Amino acid sequence: MSFRILIVDDSKLARMAVAKTLNAVHPDWSRVEAANADEAMAKIKEGGVDLAVLDFNMPGRDGLELAAELKALNPGMPLAVISANHQIEVVERAKAVGATFLSKPLTEQALRDFLDVAVKNLKATAA
Amino acid sequence: MNEFIEQFLIEGRELVAQGSDDLLALEEQPGDKQRIDSAFRAFHTLKGAAGIVDFTAMAETLHAGEDVLSAVRAGTVTMSPAVTNLCLACLDQVSAWLDEMQKTGEVPADAQTKANEVVQRFSLVTDTSTHAEAEDDAASRAPDVLALTPPARQLLDAQVRLLNDNGADGRTARWLSAAHVAANVLRHLGHVAEAGNLERLAETALSAGNARAVADAIARTMESVSAAAPQGTAGAAPLADQTLRVDVKRIDVLVKLAGELTVAKNALGHLARLAQDETNPARLSVALKAQHLHLERLVSELQRSVVDLRVLPLQTAFQRFPRLVREMTGTLGKPARLMIEGASTEADKSVVAALFEPLLHVIRNSLDHGLEAANERASLGKPAIATVHLRAARQGEHIVIEIEDDGRGLDLARIRAVAVERGVAPSAVIEAMSEEEASALIFAPGFSTAAKVSDLSGRGVGMDVVRTSIERFGGQVTVSSRPGQGTTVRFTLPFTVMMTRVMTVEAAGQIFGLPMEAIVETVRLPREAIKPIGTASAFVLRNRTVPLIDLGQALGGKGQTSGPEATIVVVKAGGHIGGLEVDRLGDRLDVMLTAPDGLLAGIPGIDGTTLMGDGRVLIVLDLQAFLQ
Repeated sequence: MSFRILIVDDSKLARMAVAKTLNAVHPDWSRVEAANADEAMAKIKEGGVDLAVLDFNMPGRDGLELAAELKALNPGMPLAVISANHQIEVVERAKAVGATFLSKPLTEQALRDFLDVAVKNLKATAA
Repeated sequence: MNEFIEQFLIEGRELVAQGSDDLLALEEQPGDKQRIDSAFRAFHTLKGAAGIVDFTAMAETLHAGEDVLSAVRAGTVTMSPAVTNLCLACLDQVSAWLDEMQKTGEVPADAQTKANEVVQRFSLVTDTSTHAEAEDDAASRAPDVLALTPPARQLLDAQVRLLNDNGADGRTARWLSAAHVAANVLRHLGHVAEAGNLERLAETALSAGNARAVADAIARTMESVSAAAPQGTAGAAPLADQTLRVDVKRIDVLVKLAGELTVAKNALGHLARLAQDETNPARLSVALKAQHLHLERLVSELQRSVVDLRVLPLQTAFQRFPRLVREMTGTLGKPARLMIEGASTEADKSVVAALFEPLLHVIRNSLDHGLEAANERASLGKPAIATVHLRAARQGEHIVIEIEDDGRGLDLARIRAVAVERGVAPSAVIEAMSEEEASALIFAPGFSTAAKVSDLSGRGVGMDVVRTSIERFGGQVTVSSRPGQGTTVRFTLPFTVMMTRVMTVEAAGQIFGLPMEAIVETVRLPREAIKPIGTASAFVLRNRTVPLIDLGQALGGKGQTSGPEATIVVVKAGGHIGGLEVDRLGDRLDVMLTAPDGLLAGIPGIDGTTLMGDGRVLIVLDLQAFLQ
């Protein structure tokens, strides 16, 4: 089953890196990209996005604030917040909004683990 | 250079600029929370980017800077000048690495030593235990991944061949072992995840008899692995000049225009069909005229939009100056601040790129010669901190840039004296000059009033170089000053610059330019291959007889019939093809042509002239006139 994933990061390089890793795990998935929270919300409103990977550190609203907004809009959407700094505070806050914390640079294994759980949840909600 | 490195270089430079900007702003207003956040983010994002391209040393360097900024953010460390200097030094190091990577496409080999030095310096300023920041930096844990070595490649190729072999007996076992060998090769090179994927795929696909899927997966992995490995591209041209970041809105305008042009094209097709049946030419002509007007509007809009693509904000040229002025004032011991206005003014990319050097020169001059020493300012009752304004504004079809200082102004008597001494013009002429004319003497070649050669301005070049580089773009430089109140240097530049690509050639001891668009190829032929035909000569090129013109002779100079070989530029213009024999081939240049004027006006065979970097005039030939 193929899904549509939203990648939000202000660095294009970082988006390219996530896309490459995603391609290694699920080459058949489609993806949309956004450079900040506002763009991300616009893409979400266009519809069709099943799950999202958000950078924590962005100008404007950060990844956690965006995660909270996305959850309010669609509580069932699996979300990952990624950050290069493994700060306890960020990890806790990610957990609190119901998002998975992932370390940057993203490893294939970490992404795979997140996606496996996400797919399971998505299928459960669909069923 | 792979696309990741390319993007890394683009983003890296932007982030370095952003970070420097923020640090300098913080120096003025240490408490500006937004600036601290922004500086922190720049370091953080840079660190992340370094991790993505496996540049561990750079990630470590930035991590140290990020730690300090994070402590500043938390209030445990104050933004002292020492901290600012360290952070700036850190960005300088990053900048140097980016330059190196731009040339080689690879992570610099000696980076770790330099990284350690920077990190060491940071640890002296802050005690890292004062803040709870990232204890483990993921980037530094990234495993070493090796590129595909030739033996590895051969091994993988062999496994792909085995998997593609559909021989009957025991093929599944053979396939399985081929897949395992391939996975082991990948694992050995550090591509553990890829190896795992391959084994998982082999388990399911091979038992189903689908060896092809596994073979394809190996081929794909080989591709991605070699793409991800840094590839050296020796002598890569500077990236900064080749890539251009364009506002999406401008692309949208082009897309819309392309759509409208398609509609216009279809309308023309419709008219052509009408023309077949239409017996009334007057009606047809009305319709055609309307279409023509429509197309004219679209084409001129297209032209404008394309020119807009080449437009950049002057910020690109200005952004390094706050930093440089800070350093220069430190060296000179003359406190001064730079006020930038109108940095968002836009100009042609080539103008923006070429502005940095002349601006640097003028600003240096202002600080070095224009501003009084601190004690002199005090005795004059001037503010202790001098101000240099750097202003840009669009005025109609021109961009005006001003560099204004509040220093002593030009010493016209001294300028006149030096000009006489240096023999810039006869002393009677110089004495008779108006104040304005005398001020302009500072742009005369070889003029410099600096009493002693200083570190800053004394580089053997004067303001004449500034004038030359500005005039190359069809711009003008003027200077005005008020005694005791300051000097203003003003650049007036055209907004759009249409560049012509030329190749320079040498003939009869002179350099000429040939428009690149007219050049078909260059060849070297043995002298025997050139046959006289009547009073002229010709040679055969791929079964075609091409007339040969000795360029030196044609221009009234000496011919070049000596030497065993002839250097020939084959050109095509106005439907004619011909060969021009020259002494030597030169460089390729992008130049702005100005119509021939003065002595050259009205002479056939001259397309235009342009100023070369060294101030000489390059005559660009109109080849059509030669070939007729």
